[in-house]
Amino acid sequence: MTRSRKMMILFMFLGPTLAAVILLRLWPASMAVLESLYAPRAQTMSLENYAYIFGDPLFQKSILVTLIYSIIVNPLQIAIALALALLLNVSIPLIGLWRTLILLPVAIPQSVSAVVWGIGLRPDGPVNGLLVALGLGEQRFLTSPDQALGSIILIVSWIGIGYWMTFLLAGLQDIPKSLYEAIRIDGANRWQQFRYITLPQLRRTLTFVLVANTVSNFLVFAPVQILTQGGPQGSTNLIMNDIYTRGFVWGDSSSASAATVVLVSLVLLVVVMQFRLMRAPEDNAA
Amino acid sequence: MQFNRIRRGVCAFAVAALASGGFVSAAMAQSVTVNFLSAQNDDVFQPVIDAFEAANPDIDVVHQTVPFDELNTAIETRVARGDGTIDVYAADTPRIPAFASRGYLLNLDDAKDKITGAVPSAVELELVSHGGSVWAYPMWTSTQLMYFNRDLLKAAKLEMPEGGTSARMTWEQVTANAKAAQDAGAEWGVMFQQVDRYYQLQALFESSGAGNGLTGDDLLEPAMNGDKWVETAQWYADIFENGLAPRGVSPSQTDDLFARGKVAYYIAGPWAIAAFNAAEGLDYGVAPHPYFEGGKQVTPTGAWALGINPHADNLEAARKFAEFVTLTAEGSFLTTKNFPLIPVNAGGFEKYGVAIGEMTPKIGPALDIMAHEGMETAVARPRTVGFVAFETEMNRMFSDVRNGADVKQALDDTQSRLTGLLPRQR
Amino acid sequence: MTIQPGRLFRIACIVLVSILFFLPVWWVTVSALRPQEEIFKYLSPLSLWTLWPRDASLIYMIELWQGPFATAILNSIYITVVTLVVGLIISAMAGFALAVMNFRFRETIFFVIVVSFLIPFDAIALPLFGILSKANLQNTYTGLILPGIGNGLAVFLFRQFFMGIPKEIREAAQIDGMGWFGIFWRIYLPLSRPAIISAGLILFVFQWQAYLWPLIIAPAPEYKVAAIAIAQFADLYGVNYSLIFSAAFFISLIPMLVLVVFQRYFTASVASTSGKG
Repeated sequence: MTRSRKMMILFMFLGPTLAAVILLRLWPASMAVLESLYAPRAQTMSLENYAYIFGDPLFQKSILVTLIYSIIVNPLQIAIALALALLLNVSIPLIGLWRTLILLPVAIPQSVSAVVWGIGLRPDGPVNGLLVALGLGEQRFLTSPDQALGSIILIVSWIGIGYWMTFLLAGLQDIPKSLYEAIRIDGANRWQQFRYITLPQLRRTLTFVLVANTVSNFLVFAPVQILTQGGPQGSTNLIMNDIYTRGFVWGDSSSASAATVVLVSLVLLVVVMQFRLMRAPEDNAA
Repeated sequence: MQFNRIRRGVCAFAVAALASGGFVSAAMAQSVTVNFLSAQNDDVFQPVIDAFEAANPDIDVVHQTVPFDELNTAIETRVARGDGTIDVYAADTPRIPAFASRGYLLNLDDAKDKITGAVPSAVELELVSHGGSVWAYPMWTSTQLMYFNRDLLKAAKLEMPEGGTSARMTWEQVTANAKAAQDAGAEWGVMFQQVDRYYQLQALFESSGAGNGLTGDDLLEPAMNGDKWVETAQWYADIFENGLAPRGVSPSQTDDLFARGKVAYYIAGPWAIAAFNAAEGLDYGVAPHPYFEGGKQVTPTGAWALGINPHADNLEAARKFAEFVTLTAEGSFLTTKNFPLIPVNAGGFEKYGVAIGEMTPKIGPALDIMAHEGMETAVARPRTVGFVAFETEMNRMFSDVRNGADVKQALDDTQSRLTGLLPRQR
Repeated sequence: MTIQPGRLFRIACIVLVSILFFLPVWWVTVSALRPQEEIFKYLSPLSLWTLWPRDASLIYMIELWQGPFATAILNSIYITVVTLVVGLIISAMAGFALAVMNFRFRETIFFVIVVSFLIPFDAIALPLFGILSKANLQNTYTGLILPGIGNGLAVFLFRQFFMGIPKEIREAAQIDGMGWFGIFWRIYLPLSRPAIISAGLILFVFQWQAYLWPLIIAPAPEYKVAAIAIAQFADLYGVNYSLIFSAAFFISLIPMLVLVVFQRYFTASVASTSGKG
């Protein structure tokens, strides 16, 4: 095959996606980077916007909140999603329906999910009704600085777990049954089957879920914006919510752009670490 | 509040003027389109659009409605970037200085005489002005009333606050009575309709003498951590801390609690009347907005005006439409047909008054109170280019205080945040 | 066939978990069938009526379909279907190239695609609006669809999946004289049903949930999408919960029906791959 023909084929495979990604993501993103270097009404580039956001106590807190949130929400969602995927990887009557019921929350607009949970977690709402009926005390949920972030984690997990479970299920379904049969003949118990067959075979899917889940949790903000606007006392002010407030509410797009650059750098750092962590030797040989 | 309820409520208004409905917008050949952006449901503007199109067969009005929280987003993206596909848009009056100084509004000085002819109140003209020029057509104004539930007050053997503006209660009386009503069985003692919103709470701080929270020539310096501010914010916090009002209920869910008879005293706008009239078994009345003992009598005001996009594709038709809606008695009244906010147009208000006036025997002198407050006690929100950012941070602070944050700390934090933030808004 | 107790326990767990996840959606459905005042009436203390409609009525569902919601949901379906078809084809091809073909800068291009999905889309909506409005794509379906098709995450997913397909299969096909398109179309794609469904899910959720972008690029009533139509039942002064919940019911019903049908192909794929493996 000639070199130019090979280039042609490569271009046909990669071209449309690359064009879309560059035009619709990277170009506007680089405009945002540029904007972050100009203070309001300034004619020359400076780091003033960065100095301003890093000097803002609420922004400092939002970095901290985002980190705490990520450290809790990502392992939690992946562990539950994996457990559910293993549980539902079975052939029983109506299995398609059960899986769909768990996946369904992701199809509901987040604005509606947020409203539903806002009512559910009201002081006089059904969740407290249930707690009282069980003999447990009423909780403050979204109105308490100690419980609000936990409540947000509950809501985004309700939305997200079925979604991530679906990817893991697809990965599980793709593991050849013959591998299990072989190891069972060797007398492996369930844990050993999971440890030596399921986990290694699921590595590529898990890498995908880990990275995608981390990214999407970093970028979530609709439930926060609707339910708490970052409060009480900044306890749920994830960076993405801060960016939204700056850019769309205050009309301060230069500091919003600076905050976006900070967020993307942070996510990139975490994701690169995750790729390193999940890399296996054969990937490079492929 | 729900619009089919309003529709039912409006039937209860039973105003002769409404009988003029039934316009059908005619399909027309060579027509001009006016794109009108607002955060109100289609129902609100449909009557006035129908009437305008009937009178101007060559102009088509397309109402583009966006959710309230996103109206600013839409203006910041589309009008700000010189998009000509919006011709007329609704602007909350305190935002006009920012919009005007950023070039999002057409200068309307040439229509000043027309506006003062139709809207005689100098206060209303001031609300749509900035830097000595007029930037929008005043459409509505607002005030806040105190609604009370007769059954709950009766159960607690409390006096009905029925004396109109001469019998304005103090907040001290209201909270004491609210406690008594709760002891006698009311679920909640006193509530605010728009919890945590600066629009509703500013009057508390004006009444206690704390001020509006801003100072400096351009009103771009925060001033909100003095003793009076702490004291008044603490009072607000205590209402929730002491259980007189519920935490965790959003502004969209408050009307429902009063309508279902769970609240003794309720501070809300006149538009809630439509929902309350439709609520079964609710026996209620209206009284003037309370004030702090020894303090000033102050009530909220201001509402939506109509602005013209300077880059509008159809400037002339756009102005024609906006003037019909705001400067004619008919158009002005029709905007309140499905949504009883107060029209500022003199002729429109007259018609509106007939409708509200008919309810006096049932709920008390709502119209007299509204007219009195508009003239005597209304204090507008601060007019500054930094208003949107200021308002967002204040709402956040009120929410923290309501949820039990240390008041002094919350005020100090907001003060320091706004000190960095407001100069960037210039 | 005898049912083992372990299996029975597992079924019970599955049903219980599914119902727990479904409960809030069920409450939405029940609320869609009752008037506003009833929605809040039975919140607390819990009663049977919290989760079962008393005097159920379809008037809100009917009112919903008489309003602008009908157009909006059709728009959403149209936009989502186009996004799915175009997006799946181009991301699968890109994922194939990145996983299977050898070329210079492969890692760099992959890195670029990864970076593209780290960028919060909502945060770059303003500059993107500037670009697309210069191309006169305001109030067009193209403007609504475009951001949904260049999805780096879907490319990433396809790459991960294709890397798991043994390269012996591809090498055998190359020896038989099959070109890249043949290998992609006749060998990789048919093996990739789970990946297609998963990637489809990514593209679907992006478009079905899209809110800020449609609001900016296409505010004209005839291009309104369902997620925005639903938000408009709430305004500054109040919320029509009965209509919101009716709309939420239909918005989730459509994907639910599609998903129940597609779940079948997950299992079908097991049979096919395990047969080969």
